[in-house]
Amino acid sequence: MSLNFPKARRAALAVAGAGLLLASAACGGSSSSSPDGDSSSSDQPVTMTLWTNSTTGPGLQYFKDAATAFKAIDPNVTINVQSVQNEDYDGKLQTALQAGQGSAPDIFFQRGGGKMLAMVEAGQLADLTDSISDDATSNISAGTFAIFQADGKTYGMPLSITPEGIWYSKDLFKQAGITSTPTTIAELTTDAAKLKAQGTPLAVGGKDGWPAGHWYYMFAVRDCSQDALNDAATSASFDDPCFLQAAKDLGAFNDTDPWEADPFNTSAQGSAASTAGLLANHKVAGELMGAWEPGVVGDLTPNKKPLPDLGYFPFPATANGEGDPNAMMEGSDGYSCSAWAPEPACSDFLNFLATTDQENKYATAFGTIPANKAAQGSVTDPAAKAALDAANNAPYSVLFLDTLFGSNVGGALNTAVVNFMSGQNKDPQSIIDAVNNASSKG
Amino acid sequence: MSESPQAPAALESSLDGQQTVGGGTESVSPPATVGRAPRARANWRERFEITLLSGPAILVFVAFVIVPVIAAVYYGFYRWKGYGKPTDFVWFQNYKVILTDPEFHRAVLHNFEIAGLSLLIQGPLAILLALLLNRRMRGRSVIRVLVFVPWVVSEVIAGTGLSLMLPVNGAINDLLTKMQIFGDVHVQWLAPHLALWTLMAILTWKYLGFAVILLMAGLQNIPDELYEAATVDGASYWQQQRRITLPLLGPTIRIWAFLSIIGSLQLFDLPWIVWGEFNVDRDGVSTMATYMAHYGPRTQLYGYGNAVAVVLFIISLFVAVLYQRLVLSRDMAGAITDGRTGR
Repeated sequence: MSLNFPKARRAALAVAGAGLLLASAACGGSSSSSPDGDSSSSDQPVTMTLWTNSTTGPGLQYFKDAATAFKAIDPNVTINVQSVQNEDYDGKLQTALQAGQGSAPDIFFQRGGGKMLAMVEAGQLADLTDSISDDATSNISAGTFAIFQADGKTYGMPLSITPEGIWYSKDLFKQAGITSTPTTIAELTTDAAKLKAQGTPLAVGGKDGWPAGHWYYMFAVRDCSQDALNDAATSASFDDPCFLQAAKDLGAFNDTDPWEADPFNTSAQGSAASTAGLLANHKVAGELMGAWEPGVVGDLTPNKKPLPDLGYFPFPATANGEGDPNAMMEGSDGYSCSAWAPEPACSDFLNFLATTDQENKYATAFGTIPANKAAQGSVTDPAAKAALDAANNAPYSVLFLDTLFGSNVGGALNTAVVNFMSGQNKDPQSIIDAVNNASSKG
Repeated sequence: MSESPQAPAALESSLDGQQTVGGGTESVSPPATVGRAPRARANWRERFEITLLSGPAILVFVAFVIVPVIAAVYYGFYRWKGYGKPTDFVWFQNYKVILTDPEFHRAVLHNFEIAGLSLLIQGPLAILLALLLNRRMRGRSVIRVLVFVPWVVSEVIAGTGLSLMLPVNGAINDLLTKMQIFGDVHVQWLAPHLALWTLMAILTWKYLGFAVILLMAGLQNIPDELYEAATVDGASYWQQQRRITLPLLGPTIRIWAFLSIIGSLQLFDLPWIVWGEFNVDRDGVSTMATYMAHYGPRTQLYGYGNAVAVVLFIISLFVAVLYQRLVLSRDMAGAITDGRTGR
């Protein structure tokens, strides 16, 4: 009975985790001698399936267009694009990958981090290390690639970066008499009270779990030093007292009840009643999200156009926080090839997606920030531009904690945060305990 | 009328218990010789027929019930994230964690609360409605359809609709407010103190139609002669229902109760969709199945999730067997036809 099993397993996680605390200062460089993707075309006709978590019109259309454009370059390759709703995505993908050849999608949306590591360990991903084009390597920062690396090998192509922050309606902030965006939690608390009094509060969207989790992650990034975060990433446990402080700070802010009505029965995305939909229709003033937000909100506005007054500000600093106030939390949306995908067609297509031209189109379609730096000039949405600037200013950045820790610990963390914020378990220590005990179930 | 010459023959052949299986008439032996000369051949034939008729069902049952149960037992002994082959054998560790997890205890409790309340609420309502709809009256078919429609709607669709209507700012509170009777309504339908009752209301709305259909079928089987005789004897309507309908409806009610209990124990979709996986536990509507889905596929603890499935299976099986033994046994006695009787 290996009751104390987690240690060994955590060490394995540690290896990968260490690479995931990204130094955003680092850039390009580690060139891999690889054949230029686009030049080698397949001899045999191949058909590939692509899974995306995008259900929005332009996002899905982007992949269909990209498939058509790629067919023009390589007539032998046909790509079928399939869309899987985000909340269903991880489970469906896992089942499909487990079934292996024939069921597994050839190309699929990849979040990286601990979730990717499990796929790597099971031998379900194609090693792309030697297939990434020089073009991609020089234009996408090494820090972003690190999200999709394990043991020095690359398993995914980053297409966008999603720096985290508060996305808000400039009009509603102005209406509430807020002249400048808050830079400290104290200011945020005051502003949140004004917004709530005006009937347009901040939103959390706790029904999906992770949106509530993100509030805790950001308090942890502000309260914990880079070293403490690094240690947590490698041990998958919250040992530093700063994590408890983050829970207490979140609790104090949460106690002011700055949220929308029924915050834990509201989901984050997908309908007019979700927080993104409420923001798109000026029913709430803002929410904490990654840089997918402009696209998600834009899809829910009455005219399906980007929200004109959408703004962005980085998460405010906590009092006496040990973290750098400019530090960022971010993720990256990438794409992987399954171990059964036809090669070189699959990696060719990923290299094609990472080209500056395609990245420009991707960023426009998704209203997000492309991973390819040469394409970042195409970010015109002022809110996304502000998020990009904040990301470029950050001394270091951290991957979303649930992605970093993987489904088990990440899921336990999100559940604990929801329980804490919704008042079921008012003890801030419960968040720490949930993470440190998550391994009891697996 | 044209069929009348055939009828006696058909009746005869079904009464002697001979050709009910297979229905072949070309090799009919005279009744007197049954069980004598062609015994060996009949045996062989009988076996062939049984195999042929039950084979597909058994195959499907084994492939989609027995094998998955065995697979779940197998995976339940592993600590396994669902990627690759399970390698970390942990004996009963998963079961130990399940049985000591207060969250699981709450889920089991909710299951039994839901099962009990379903019987208490839906049972009497369904009997009254079935009696009502069994009478000739104006608008009967309209009421029948209205009662039955919710049962036809898929759980996911009903759940998605309700999850949009039930939040504080949802359509239901809005409607109540606009009726201008209750003032400004902000009822937290999904909050802990109300959630179970909201769920019971949804379940009643959703499954009452099924109970009514079942009971109405039971009512059709009660011979009219009994009521005629009772009327002649001067029994009132309610006396007739009390003395004739209810006792004769017993087997149907017991079967419905059985299906309702099993359904309650396996309840998953409505709490999962209306409340959401992070809310069911707090709001008091978690079930064993939502617990399993949360700790199985959603947090990718497949070994643990399979162990939960095994526990759920054992609890359901135990309840089902107990119910069969204690309650259904009297209905079952004599109901199972033994092909060899009388041979």
